[in-house]
Amino acid sequence: MTQTPHRPAEHTTRPRGRLVGQSVPRKEDLALLTGTARFIDDIKLPGMVYAKILRSEVAHARIRSVEVAAARKMPGVLDVLCGADLVGKVKPWGDMMQDLLVGDHTPFAVDKVLYEGQELAAVAAQTKYQALDALEAIELDLEELPAYVDPEEAIKPDAALIQEGITYEFGDGNIFDRYKLRVGDIEAAEAEAAAVVRQRFSTNRQAGAALDPHGCVASFDSFTRELTVYSSTQSIYMVRDVLADVLQIPRNKVRVIVPEVGAGFGSKAQIFPYEVIASIFSMRLGRPVHLVLGRKEIFQSGTARNSQIRYAELMCDRDGHITGYRDYTVHNCGAMSVWGNQVLHIGTNVGMLPYAIPNIRVDGNIVHTNTAPGGALRGFGIPQFIWVKEQLVDMAAAELGLDPLEMRARNVIRPESFPFRTPMGQVIDSTTVYDCLHKSAAAIGWTETKANPVPYEGLGLAVSMKYTSCRHPSFDTDLSAVRLRLETDGTVTIYSSDVTHGQAHATMLAQIVADGLGVGFEKITLARPDSVTSPFGLGTYASRGAAVLGTACRLATERLREKVLAIAAHVLEANADDLDIGDDRVFVKGLPDSGLYLEILASLAAYRTHQLPPGFEPTMEAIATYDTPTEREGPDGTGNLSVTYSAAAHAARVRVDPGTGLIRVVDYAMAHDTGVVINPLVVEGQHQGGFLMGLGMVLGEDYVYDDEGHLTNASFKDYLAPTSTDVPELTKIYELPAPSLTIPGGQKGAGESGTGPVPAAVGNAVFDATGVRFTSLPITPQQMLLALREKDRRGLATFRYPDDMPGFTGPREPQDWPEPLLPDDMGFDWDNFEDEL
Amino acid sequence: MVNVTITVNGQPVAADIDERTLLLEFIRDVAGLTGTHNGCLEARCGCCSVELDGAIVKSCNVLAVQAAGRSVTTIEGLSPQRLHPAEHITTGSLAGMYQPLDMLGADAADLHPVQAAFHKCHALQCGFCTPGMVMALKNYLAENPEPTRDDIRAAIAGNLCRCTGYQHIIDAGMEAAEQLRAQADA
Ligand code: FES
Ligand code: FES
Repeated sequence: MTQTPHRPAEHTTRPRGRLVGQSVPRKEDLALLTGTARFIDDIKLPGMVYAKILRSEVAHARIRSVEVAAARKMPGVLDVLCGADLVGKVKPWGDMMQDLLVGDHTPFAVDKVLYEGQELAAVAAQTKYQALDALEAIELDLEELPAYVDPEEAIKPDAALIQEGITYEFGDGNIFDRYKLRVGDIEAAEAEAAAVVRQRFSTNRQAGAALDPHGCVASFDSFTRELTVYSSTQSIYMVRDVLADVLQIPRNKVRVIVPEVGAGFGSKAQIFPYEVIASIFSMRLGRPVHLVLGRKEIFQSGTARNSQIRYAELMCDRDGHITGYRDYTVHNCGAMSVWGNQVLHIGTNVGMLPYAIPNIRVDGNIVHTNTAPGGALRGFGIPQFIWVKEQLVDMAAAELGLDPLEMRARNVIRPESFPFRTPMGQVIDSTTVYDCLHKSAAAIGWTETKANPVPYEGLGLAVSMKYTSCRHPSFDTDLSAVRLRLETDGTVTIYSSDVTHGQAHATMLAQIVADGLGVGFEKITLARPDSVTSPFGLGTYASRGAAVLGTACRLATERLREKVLAIAAHVLEANADDLDIGDDRVFVKGLPDSGLYLEILASLAAYRTHQLPPGFEPTMEAIATYDTPTEREGPDGTGNLSVTYSAAAHAARVRVDPGTGLIRVVDYAMAHDTGVVINPLVVEGQHQGGFLMGLGMVLGEDYVYDDEGHLTNASFKDYLAPTSTDVPELTKIYELPAPSLTIPGGQKGAGESGTGPVPAAVGNAVFDATGVRFTSLPITPQQMLLALREKDRRGLATFRYPDDMPGFTGPREPQDWPEPLLPDDMGFDWDNFEDEL
Repeated sequence: MVNVTITVNGQPVAADIDERTLLLEFIRDVAGLTGTHNGCLEARCGCCSVELDGAIVKSCNVLAVQAAGRSVTTIEGLSPQRLHPAEHITTGSLAGMYQPLDMLGADAADLHPVQAAFHKCHALQCGFCTPGMVMALKNYLAENPEPTRDDIRAAIAGNLCRCTGYQHIIDAGMEAAEQLRAQADA
């Protein structure tokens, strides 16, 4: 069964009618298609020099000395920096803990190396080659320490401290933060449950691996003391505010501009040391400094998905209704992490959906290891948690003798009325998740295939909901802003600081403006994010674009429309209510061929202000900021963190080759509720790309560390990013929209909902095909072969990998599980912490 | 240092370069054409794909000296920048006097059929892989005018894309093949 994808209107004609909802071809494309788009590595400023970073080749070490004198004398070298040079001169920045920033990030390691790839020194030289040559002349004296790669080793009481000299408010040892979630009465749920399934699951470290490298060009003017930074970031104000703070210079003297950004997937949603290093070089040299990372450096230091170990239990009643969920999570954030702890909070909160589980207890330890920094990555904790929960659902269904589809159908949220508040605190303003579930199951041929199973072929289902915006526990804000200007020739400029880097903001926002202002789509331009001109907004992450930025744009459009109508009403001596806008002009309702062109009205406000209504402020600009009506996380971990929730139900068909262990996803169906879709073809592309990231997570992408903490696959040669031949045809994509009731236009987030269910759907399908339940990610052909052989050798019908392998050293059965290292054990009374404060 | 001349998009470009200079660096830093992208420098991502004497190569995998005296086509060679000024955008009030631009701001006929198909099929998101993808497909379709979807999949297997899931790129490859066949028949 194939469905013809949405096709855009012919691009040679002006799109007509209401544009929201049409697959208008993208404004972004032309420059990208012809090679004229300028990415960070393409920026060249007069007098520009090149910087390169020397990174640690060991994962954990004490720094005895970093000798840079010889490097200074190398040809072309202009400046050299190392950690000791900056102590006391730049302010550390850091992890976002509860309500405060912990200063555990510095431009270079100073006393200790915490992970392989950490910055030790940097050189600025006339050419790239000279900078690279000079790095080799830097002498290091490092005293290697044992490295902690396994987070469960790092939290043993006798483990050495990784981050020394930093006091984490809620942490202890290598646990730097904790997560606690309490809903209902989990003990009662357990006592009354008809079935309880328990399993230890673990997940992998996946890279964003956006093809456009992380990098920046910094340019400081020593007379005006203005620092201009071009950066391939997802958030200009996060970079500006942290950079200014680190350097202790005024924020209005730091200007952050983005060139074209070749994707990020979350991996560019923070400031990095290279931005600080390039800025310092430029301040010292008075010349622009280009610092763009190489692929290996990006793998090592560009942030990766946080991995988790979850000791998880799901409780159900006789009819398969989920009555409780409990787990103890060890969450690995690597050696340092700006966003890492938030990933556990939000991924767990939102990951409970689409079920309204009445009793929940989660205890999480958020842990440092000597591995790459953990960051935001498409799905933000949800794919990890769905991998666990949706496999438990299949296990519970098996125990109860229920069909996995039926089990899910009995549990997904299907309230009688909206908004519906879950026990977890989410406010579901609308959803079609139940219909999505059935749609995807039907599209994959669930019932027919279950009746006629094929050997080594299997089906799997998974459902999830994804936040559309997020009020992070440590970040009490969820806003975006748009400023619009009707130019004096009737064109419109949109200013926004939310960086478009694949999400088609220029197109999507222009569709909203065109509809609201009656101005031609081709006359609307999105200005490049620039902290000097763009209104303050948080940046592009958390699937906020269509709903949050889109709402700001809609509000600004309405404000601008009012101004235009007010001038027109005055000039036409009509009542504003009797006027309408369309086809670039304001006309009396019913007379669309008459009226005043927008360019004339705009030029009145600029050049002929006597013709304006009395008292009218002569401006054709409107600005709007939209902050979502979301809640802060409560002390029990509950709360409505997202403005609305998009739903995804996926169904996978996999085929396993028992001879080679090769696993192929041969068919895949995705049904989504993305609310009101502004541009269907763009949203379809988001789901397909989201799927790709999920597929990489389940079938190959991972950071492979040896025991010393060396990342052994920091290259596209060894890191298994899916290629075109790994992906099935992705035509079974369905939108079953339930417009958001909270967002004025009804939109929901599209960017990440395609990723969440993929690992679990594939994992369930692999079990269906082979009887092997994989409990760790990724699933590789080698592991598949080992598991099949061991399963056959022991003559088992079902088998867990790696838990049932002879060499498995972790706890196999629940009675062997570790007790959660509870905060109470650490001398901190969590349950009564408010009294203590 | 060594002096090399490489013809880039029909124009000879000569320079004294370090022997280590990659063809990719020659194209970007010497010829000043930044549409050819550096995504890995290890011959894996395909973002740097160009034609060298008509054959598709990863330009990070070729030394500039190896390309001396030869001819390179980059993404900029498919649809040269229009040098004449764009017409003024205008409203219906002046429609009789000016030709309003189409929504792209450029004449779609300027695009190579592969580029046009990428636009039509939404085969690019961030666009970083796009020049390499377009070059690989252009080169492949010139030799293989009647591909299947699986053929196209195989043809771009050396080019990574992290954004699209490849589906729309394959759609675009099929669409471009059709357009190219129609052009050849005409
Ligand atoms: S840069 Fe040449 S293949 Fe990646
Ligand atoms: S469109 Fe972003 S990598 Fe292909």
